[in-house]
Amino acid sequence: MNVNNDPLWVKVAKQVRTWARLNSIWAIHFNSGSCNGCDIEILATLTPRYDVERFGIKLEGSPRHADVLIVTGPVTRQARERLRRTYEQMPEPKFVISVGSCSISGGVFDGCYGVGGAVDEVVPVDVFIPGCPPRPEAIVDGIIQLLTHLKEGNLPPSQMKKIAEKVPA
Amino acid sequence: MNTKQNLEKAEWLLANWNKETTYPEADRLDVLVTAEDLRSAVTTLHDAKWGYLSAITGLDLGVESGQLEALYHFCNGPAITTLKVHLPRVGDASLPTIEDIIPSATFFEREMSETVGFQITGAKSMDRLFISDDWPEGVYPLRADFKIEQAAPVEGRYVDEIPEEGVVRGNTFVVPIGPQHPALKEPGHFEFTVDGEVVTAARMRLGYAHRGIEKAAESRNWIQNLYLFERVCGICSHVHTMAYAAGVEKLAQVEVPMRAQAIRQIVAGLERIHSHLLWLGVAAHEAGFDTLFMYSWRDRETVMNLLEQITGNRVNYSANVLGGVKCDIGLEQAKVIKEGLDFLEVRIRHYLEVVTTDAMFLNRTRGVGTITRVEAERFGLLGPTARASGLVRDVRVEAPYGAYTRFPISAVTATNGDLEARCEVRLNELLVSCFAIRTLIDNLPEGPLTVKMPRKIPAGETISRVEAPRGELFYYIKSGGGENPLRIHVRTPSLCNWVSVLEKAVGRQLADVPMLIAGMDPCFSCNDRVVTVKHSNDQKTWSWKQLREYGIEYYKR
Repeated sequence: MNVNNDPLWVKVAKQVRTWARLNSIWAIHFNSGSCNGCDIEILATLTPRYDVERFGIKLEGSPRHADVLIVTGPVTRQARERLRRTYEQMPEPKFVISVGSCSISGGVFDGCYGVGGAVDEVVPVDVFIPGCPPRPEAIVDGIIQLLTHLKEGNLPPSQMKKIAEKVPA
Repeated sequence: MNTKQNLEKAEWLLANWNKETTYPEADRLDVLVTAEDLRSAVTTLHDAKWGYLSAITGLDLGVESGQLEALYHFCNGPAITTLKVHLPRVGDASLPTIEDIIPSATFFEREMSETVGFQITGAKSMDRLFISDDWPEGVYPLRADFKIEQAAPVEGRYVDEIPEEGVVRGNTFVVPIGPQHPALKEPGHFEFTVDGEVVTAARMRLGYAHRGIEKAAESRNWIQNLYLFERVCGICSHVHTMAYAAGVEKLAQVEVPMRAQAIRQIVAGLERIHSHLLWLGVAAHEAGFDTLFMYSWRDRETVMNLLEQITGNRVNYSANVLGGVKCDIGLEQAKVIKEGLDFLEVRIRHYLEVVTTDAMFLNRTRGVGTITRVEAERFGLLGPTARASGLVRDVRVEAPYGAYTRFPISAVTATNGDLEARCEVRLNELLVSCFAIRTLIDNLPEGPLTVKMPRKIPAGETISRVEAPRGELFYYIKSGGGENPLRIHVRTPSLCNWVSVLEKAVGRQLADVPMLIAGMDPCFSCNDRVVTVKHSNDQKTWSWKQLREYGIEYYKR
């Protein structure tokens, strides 16, 4: 990214946009076949004890208004296409957080006939939060890590990985 | 009538069609019938009001025996009568449907036909309910010789669009809801056909969370399965392991120490509190009462703390091991639990007052989705949904197990059968649970926490039933004498309660649908995909959130 050659107003506009984006993250939650364990923990992070709304994070129902896709569970064969479609409906820039061991590797359900694989086989994932289920503190930490990473003006982790793969060794 | 007389009565009722009678356990009767006689036998039991159909298990008896087996389990208190039907593995394995006699059987039959490969004749709908759309025809995952290579995805079978038929007819259109969700739980997909504001037909598709746990259980050993079944559901994880462990212990003829059983019951009681408070929040959210949602979830954290104190985990507690429990409750913990319960009792009383007096909330619940006692019995409802209609369906009372034999509990019922009654029943149940936990802690029996379990479980089959927060949880466990089970069948309470939503939504306002779904506390929930409403020739897009807001707006008038 060649930020330095941009005129001043472009730089300022970008900074303002990043500032606004990072302070009002809207997330959509997609359950791709999870056992509910992670889902109730995600909900617990929204409620008064953990309260992620203090970071401007809000659960949003429609993928068209969301910045972050939070996926839980192994991707079942029936939900696979739905997950991809939900992701495609989201506007750029978009980030994916995969919550729970199953969403990372299939976890305890690895090898079951209904399970089609991990989340990052279907959509590019930026943050992995392991645990069965991860504690709300871990989920909050995962989100904050994403925000800190983006604050420094970096690309989302999934895109950095893509670029790294394209560069010849 | 005691259990033995009950079983004798069932045997007498079924005498006409009985090909072979066995008593596998003291409280169980197995009756072999032919496929032709099945309907008559089911009708007889049903008409004589001998219990209710609890589950239908489909089994593959193996390639050598060449037979499939269908088991129709009827429960009447502790007594269980099982109708067995044997059919050939290859060729015609058709069974007559019984969904016109017992409506909830439709889900059991469809599950069995999709996973084991029975052909159900005469059923109204045989659309796929559990297995994914890209699954090839004629491949059944629970067959003994199933290989994952057979199930390569089939292209072009992706069909969860709006159904072709009945979409636009005059003023009728179809509102699909689901399968993805803004707030909670598991995905399901619903299609409500509406005429103006009134729902005229309801249909659903499950299977977005179908992972294939029952098949996986067959290839894992008895101990690994404990952790697998804990993850059937993250909300009622403890009762799943409790039912599984109780069944395996019964097969191994191991007596679990009383202290372990009491601790299992304490954790189950705390889990019920967490589950019902969670439900209260969700139901309030669907009604547009977000303040109650936030408050009940704040108080739920108190229970989560207690569970963490005892077991070390917040969600999947892993409190049970085969033969006992992993964690003890000492004096210090007992004190903390009691303090927590003191706080919770005050809050629960407050919520009880809120749901019975708040005018706005009552608008959404009083007189909505009323199910009479007779209907509840006909639909085969379970748990709080049935008890709100005055039907006592509570395994803890009907067939006490574990510590409930020594510390009996009273069933909470209501008579109205509407959503308000369901709120009341659930909250009153929490007060009973609080009382029961206190009693158990004060009288915690002394003794060891575990006994030794064999690695190999003796051959046999058993049924294990426990009361989950949502109703009766049913496990059928079959062992061949090895380190792995031959077959484990799980029937969760939500599957029986779906009928209440599908039947009761018809004739109601569309605005009531979110509350009706929340009212049964579904364990697969639906929601928020962007959905299309076809209105004559216009196309309009609605999401679940809009539907929910529409419901809230509608009742503001």
